[in-house]
Amino acid sequence: MGLRPIKFRILELFLDEKEHWNYEIVSKVQKEYDMQGNFQRDSINFDIIELASGGMLKDVEQKVDEDGTHKKGFLLHKYVITDFGKTRSSDACIRYV
Amino acid sequence: MDLQSLKKQESKRKISKGYMWAFFCAIFWGIWYLPGTVVWVLNPFDEMQSAIAATNGAEASLIITAVLITAFNALTVMLALMLWNGVLGKFGELKRTIKEFNPCSKWFFLASIFGGPMAILGSFIAMGFIGGAFAAVAALLYPVIGSVLAYYWYGEKISKRAAMGIGVIILGGITIFGGGLINELSSGNVQWIGYLGGLMAAAGWGIEGAVAGKGLDISEPDVGLTLRFVGENIIWWIIIVPVLALIGYPMYSFALQAFEPMTMLVLIFAGITFGFCYVCWYKSFPLIGVGRGQGIGNLYGLFAIIFIFLFFGDAPEWTILLGGALCVAGSFVMITEDSSELETLRGD
Repeated sequence: MGLRPIKFRILELFLDEKEHWNYEIVSKVQKEYDMQGNFQRDSINFDIIELASGGMLKDVEQKVDEDGTHKKGFLLHKYVITDFGKTRSSDACIRYV
Repeated sequence: MDLQSLKKQESKRKISKGYMWAFFCAIFWGIWYLPGTVVWVLNPFDEMQSAIAATNGAEASLIITAVLITAFNALTVMLALMLWNGVLGKFGELKRTIKEFNPCSKWFFLASIFGGPMAILGSFIAMGFIGGAFAAVAALLYPVIGSVLAYYWYGEKISKRAAMGIGVIILGGITIFGGGLINELSSGNVQWIGYLGGLMAAAGWGIEGAVAGKGLDISEPDVGLTLRFVGENIIWWIIIVPVLALIGYPMYSFALQAFEPMTMLVLIFAGITFGFCYVCWYKSFPLIGVGRGQGIGNLYGLFAIIFIFLFFGDAPEWTILLGGALCVAGSFVMITEDSSELETLRGD
């Protein structure tokens, strides 16, 4: 099966119910979808923000990006999937693999 | 900078960006009523109206003409959005999303039914029967429907202030519709279909926002929007226009005449303003929430009245001005809440 929409993939990565930092997810998706560059990086990060504001991910921890892992001087966020996120994932037939 | 102040800064940035998107949405949306009004007097739509009026009566002819105008509007919006996706490099995501018919696309098609044949057709009908200012201001009622549906469907919170704002908007709506109706009732000539168009616009956009939210929350908004307009084009060009042509209305002969430079220019202008008003609208939702995004977007009513006055010199009835002012005031009551309430938009 080919690649699924990016937000589907992000939810899929969170379905292990572990906490993940946004930069880990972003760089993973960038590699998988071959989306290089800062514009694509921010665009994928915005997808995560949208999922969080939609109540599917929960922001559990923040730290300052001191050494520019993602974007220097900005906040890094750690997210975990919510029950609503799991429901929406199963609506969309996304399973943890 | 320490964590706490950086957090505050980030939340501030998010909120101000969200408001900026919503504000741009309002400007584009307000401008859209200019081409939307002008297109009625251009070839071939003016000829079409008088040709059908001669055989089927004035009211039927207005509605059939509104259908063709809405269909062209959907076409130019889709083209503008395709261009936008091309610039952002999102065609790949577009393909991936369209394949996921069940979880995403079906909601966009449902949204396109409420957005297109209900809201946009209703707006054009209201513009044709009553006027641009009325059409613009009547649709201001949509956040009421949007907020209530969002509350029942996905538990988006409605704060006390938001509820107050909704109350003020409803008062405004009563003024807009009531004022015009009382005037016309006394003269004995009520344009019922025009008022129905206004209500269709408000209900359609309110429902669309809530329905599209279901597919949009798990897809890219730029892509989702384009699919929503692809859906609308299918509804118009593959279902409704051919059906009307089969019944015997001269849809195709007039549609082909629309490819005149002036008419095309106005239609493209409508497509660009409408397409980008939608883009901005949806960009604001994850940042400030659907209710607030729609609330600020509501300033379009004010912009529409200003633009219509500047370009056509039409001053609207005082009831439309008062009602519109109430709706905009209500939108502001909805959004000027404490930023602490903004941090979590949905209950979890």
